[in-house]
Amino acid sequence: MKCLLISSQSAEVLFHWTDPEFYQNVQAQYVSSQEDGHGLPAFEDSISTLFAPIIISCITMVDRLGDSYTSFTTENNHIYVLHQFDECLYIAVNGDGEEGEGDLRRKIYVMKKMIEVMFGMVTLSSNLLKRELRPQDTEQRARLWEHLQSLLETYSHLRENDQSFLVEAVERLIHPTLCEQCIEFLERRLVQQLNSSVERAGEEVLHAFILVHTKLLAFYSSRNASTLSTSDLLALIIMSQNMYPSNTDQDDPNPEDIESTSGSGPESFYTPEPSPTDMDSRSSADMPVRESTPLFEFVDPDVQMAEDSLHTLEVPPPDPSTPRRVFLEVSLKDGLFPMMPHSMYCLPLWPGITLVLLTKIPTSAVAMSVYTFLEAFAKLEKRLNEGQEGPAATRGQPTIHDIRSKLDKFIKALGASEIQSAQLQNVWTDFKNRIGRGGPGFNRELIHSCKNMKTQLCGVYRQCFLIESGTADSPRRLSPGLQERAQTMVQDKLMDWKDFLLVKSKRNITMVSYLEDFPGLIHFICVDRSTGQMIAPSLNITERNVSELGKGPLAQFIKSKVWSLVSTTRRYLQKGYSTVTLRDGDFYFCYFLWFENETGYKLEAGDIPVLPDDSAPIGMLAWDYYRKLLRYYSKNHQGEVVKCYELLTVHLGVIPTEVILQHCRQLASKLWEPSRNPLL
Amino acid sequence: MAELVLPYSRRCNYFFLYDGSKVRGESDQTREGICYFYPEETPLDRQELLCGQLAGAGRCVSELSSSPVRILNLHRNRFAIRMEDDLLWALGCSVEVPTVSVCELLDQLINLFCFYNGSVRHSYQLNSQETLASRWAQYLSHLQSGSSELQHIFSCLTTIDSTNVDPLLLLKAALILQACQRCPLVLAGCIIFRGRVVSTQMSPQLTMKLMVHESGTYTKPQRPNGQSSSFGSAVSSTAVFLTPSELQYLQSTPVDKDFSSHSTPHKNTPLKKTRLSRTLSDTPSSTESEPSDPGSSQSPQKLLSPHLSESSVYSSDPSQSTPNPPPPQPPEPPLSNGKHSSVEESLEESYYHSFHSNGEGGSQIDNGGDSSAFGENSHLNGGGVDGACGEEFNFRVAEESHDNKVSEEVSGRGCGRVQGHEVERPDPPRSDAFEHPGESPLIPMTLYLHRVKGLVLALLVEPHFLSDKASMEEVYHSSLASLNGLEAHLRSVSPGVPGAPGPYIFAHFDCIQSTLTSNLSGRPGGAPERPFVRATSLLHSHFCNTETLQEAIIRSAGAAVYGTRSVAQETYFQQHGGLLRNSGIPNHQDSAFSLPGKARHRLLKHGVNLL
Repeated sequence: MKCLLISSQSAEVLFHWTDPEFYQNVQAQYVSSQEDGHGLPAFEDSISTLFAPIIISCITMVDRLGDSYTSFTTENNHIYVLHQFDECLYIAVNGDGEEGEGDLRRKIYVMKKMIEVMFGMVTLSSNLLKRELRPQDTEQRARLWEHLQSLLETYSHLRENDQSFLVEAVERLIHPTLCEQCIEFLERRLVQQLNSSVERAGEEVLHAFILVHTKLLAFYSSRNASTLSTSDLLALIIMSQNMYPSNTDQDDPNPEDIESTSGSGPESFYTPEPSPTDMDSRSSADMPVRESTPLFEFVDPDVQMAEDSLHTLEVPPPDPSTPRRVFLEVSLKDGLFPMMPHSMYCLPLWPGITLVLLTKIPTSAVAMSVYTFLEAFAKLEKRLNEGQEGPAATRGQPTIHDIRSKLDKFIKALGASEIQSAQLQNVWTDFKNRIGRGGPGFNRELIHSCKNMKTQLCGVYRQCFLIESGTADSPRRLSPGLQERAQTMVQDKLMDWKDFLLVKSKRNITMVSYLEDFPGLIHFICVDRSTGQMIAPSLNITERNVSELGKGPLAQFIKSKVWSLVSTTRRYLQKGYSTVTLRDGDFYFCYFLWFENETGYKLEAGDIPVLPDDSAPIGMLAWDYYRKLLRYYSKNHQGEVVKCYELLTVHLGVIPTEVILQHCRQLASKLWEPSRNPLL
Repeated sequence: MAELVLPYSRRCNYFFLYDGSKVRGESDQTREGICYFYPEETPLDRQELLCGQLAGAGRCVSELSSSPVRILNLHRNRFAIRMEDDLLWALGCSVEVPTVSVCELLDQLINLFCFYNGSVRHSYQLNSQETLASRWAQYLSHLQSGSSELQHIFSCLTTIDSTNVDPLLLLKAALILQACQRCPLVLAGCIIFRGRVVSTQMSPQLTMKLMVHESGTYTKPQRPNGQSSSFGSAVSSTAVFLTPSELQYLQSTPVDKDFSSHSTPHKNTPLKKTRLSRTLSDTPSSTESEPSDPGSSQSPQKLLSPHLSESSVYSSDPSQSTPNPPPPQPPEPPLSNGKHSSVEESLEESYYHSFHSNGEGGSQIDNGGDSSAFGENSHLNGGGVDGACGEEFNFRVAEESHDNKVSEEVSGRGCGRVQGHEVERPDPPRSDAFEHPGESPLIPMTLYLHRVKGLVLALLVEPHFLSDKASMEEVYHSSLASLNGLEAHLRSVSPGVPGAPGPYIFAHFDCIQSTLTSNLSGRPGGAPERPFVRATSLLHSHFCNTETLQEAIIRSAGAAVYGTRSVAQETYFQQHGGLLRNSGIPNHQDSAFSLPGKARHRLLKHGVNLL
């Protein structure tokens, strides 16, 4: 009984995902309410009708009370979590007890993160995002939703089964020599060769990494690339797992696994970029269909921008050499730029082993400009909303005069390109006229104008990066031949290691090696939050693979304990507790979070902010809590590099507490030492 | 500290009862469905907004899940919801208040209303909305009144400070109740002094319900001559309604009305004399022995101060995670329900024996010395040795019945635990939280109240007790003098100097008796106590939701708090200072991890046994 729904404020479904039980539940309610029983309405309509009262009530509460629902719990323990991002309301439901409120909230945030990675700054304009998430063309909509649904299922599967997605940190394969060799190979051979090829069509490989299932074998970033954030890396791993799911099914006939990954085979993947060749014909051919389905059609006169461009996103061909457009955070010396366009090439080497290339696209400078302008208008709007007078507000940093000439130039440059920018030009002219005027109602009008500018800028961004802009015969991407060559190179390199790697990824480190030194220790997870990496003994619970924990119910029980421990400690961390020990049944659990400086000196414990229950989930995937924590903590440690670590342990309850704590201490000081090789 | 300091000036932000059946048609206005809304000064359109939206969204969710909504969270408010037929109750608190506590508060409130008014539907048919509004307001203000935040977290019973009161007074109170119970129309009773329970024969939940009425009247200006024996002025009565399970529970308590006749011959006179001769004057000797030697003094402790002894009995087995009641060691209560006379006899022997050996010291003081306190005992039992005998016995019964209750509750809740092991149970573990007063038929009873200044004797009696003049007079006259005496003594008890703050804070919650022991001053919003209260509230929720959790230590930058629980109790402990040196890294020398040991050691002298 699970469901995730994204809805607009007018209760229009922007996306939905349900498991079979929830689907049946909804259908059943409809059967009972429709006595005549001639034909059930489309599922999308049923779900929309059922949720509409909640959605509308939610909007009413915000409008009139300035407060809104965050969650419902029923007596039979169904949980509903609601969260509103701009004008999109997310509702996640669980009715089978498998997920708690925190899990559902996390799911919502992860969904939002995936949408951001896929649509970039278009998400900053609710109007545009709504259209993007709900394409008029039903076939196209079905395909997009299917893709998002499968991403969500892949994520849920990983979160439930993979420790690195449990704690939201990247797990590396622990094999220092091989790792180093691979990094060197990526640097000296692969990336160099790719970036010096003429077939790269202006793209430049920034990052290259090799994944064995979800674990990182090697990661290389070129010198002029900014670091890839853990949040983005985790999202990319989800995407690559979605494209090429680890066929754990082969050696794991667990029906659950088959069920949750079967819908996401490589044949069913979705590519947002249309084929340049048949783009024009299709877009015109589909016009009448679109007009005949005015479902909740709502056209804001202000958003009447380059209408044609909005319809060019059409049936994508399943061309495997087409890269995915992903929007990732870039930190440069002149600032942090979120959602900058990249191309992602996911090249399968063997089942379970994947090479991922991230390239910078030639037009990415446009994205930076758009972001700068968007930020300026957002700040201005904020100042105006706070009641500052127009002229004063425009003088704040950055001043409108600063961006005026830049924006003029920008629009002029756009005019020369194939991007439709007439609407942006008009709105900008209108804005410039308005700002000079003043008078009563000035603020309100200017706010409106700011909003328009933002929408138009997002629209330009959308045209530039969500729609393939190359010409028909020279698509802007690494040529298929080049991709193939890269694939072969790495395959050759890893040929001898392939089988080893596949096994290693399942038994990265094992508890056996710790049993002697740590009697009574059952499991542990250690996370370096500054680099976003984690180490934990493998917890493979499959029918055939027997881990040290044994198999069957006991192993499953310990796994469930580890999973619940993580969510418990997060709840305490959210309330400001950085050390937690629990005696629960036959087990003793410990959790520690601490700070060190670069040389490994343990820094004193500091205050940890106390957050409300409905705050963003603690983790690194959807919302980087630890980055904010580090920033908060570093305020008192200026000029020092602060690192943050976490350790979770599970011991047998009969072990004396002093011994357990001694184990924890040894683990904490020892764990990172042998493998301190720079990977990220 | 970035923590949000929120003084609980008002525990509840909103409360309303909404009747959806009155708002059916298109033309019906939401306001017609609002039966009661708190705070009453809320503008009507806002009342309508909240009632309408919450009821609407609640119904929608209920239909989707085919189950009523229990909790509804907003960004700034947390609502506990109860839906029955078309009625919807919602109680909103700050989101800082744990879910368990909000739900418990709403259940308490509804149960209170039903206790005094019967079923909600029915009472709204009988009474005007204004009358009932004032009642809701009264119950709400009672539940929000005075007591400290800690008490709110546990929703516990306010008792008199048993460490500060002569244990013999507690005994005396129990005896008064025993005496009243000899009238067959009296089900059970409770004695309350200035809003605090002195002695009760009922479950904590039921006792809490009586408290409302008591405190409601207590706050009104006192009659100048409360002692006046004009029958009507000090005595009042009111109709109340019990749930079937409450009634069954009261009736199942083995108050054997003619038990005294056959048990008396077993008693031997010298011991009885010893027993009776225990007076106020010699209590120091016995109280002194308690903290110094808790093991051997368990039975006198039990005898003298039920509050203390209960906790020590249960805390003797802190690791106990099985739902079974504690093992029956000789001085401890008989555990099974029903008849157990042979066990009783042997128990009685050991009981007296231990008492005798322990109380030897100052027990030989003559009967004459206690005339002021115990003189009126003769009224009860006809005086002389036989009277003492009866009293002796009655006391045994009091213990007995009480212990039976205890064991019953333990096993009852234990079962719940075992069954609900796999399921997370957000519901508070209160026995009557699961009752739906709207559904189950309520049984009318009468609450008889006899007030002597600040002291109130509250008895649950059969409805025809009031028409039975003879019974009434018997109960009145048999208890009057004792009540006067008890009141005089309790009044003279100095309000106890709150001990020096000390280097630690603790809170000990007895889940069976629903009582709280703490060295925390009751002042609201005491800054140094905030971290402790916050941690306690978090841990308490965690304990409630995780059946298998036994102990926890949690530490923030400012405070480390240790919590431990068994079936019968929860204990929380914080040591001041000594935290600054910690870096948060795992370190076995860290002072946070010495908390369990310190708690065990320090709390012994408060009668909390964590061994």
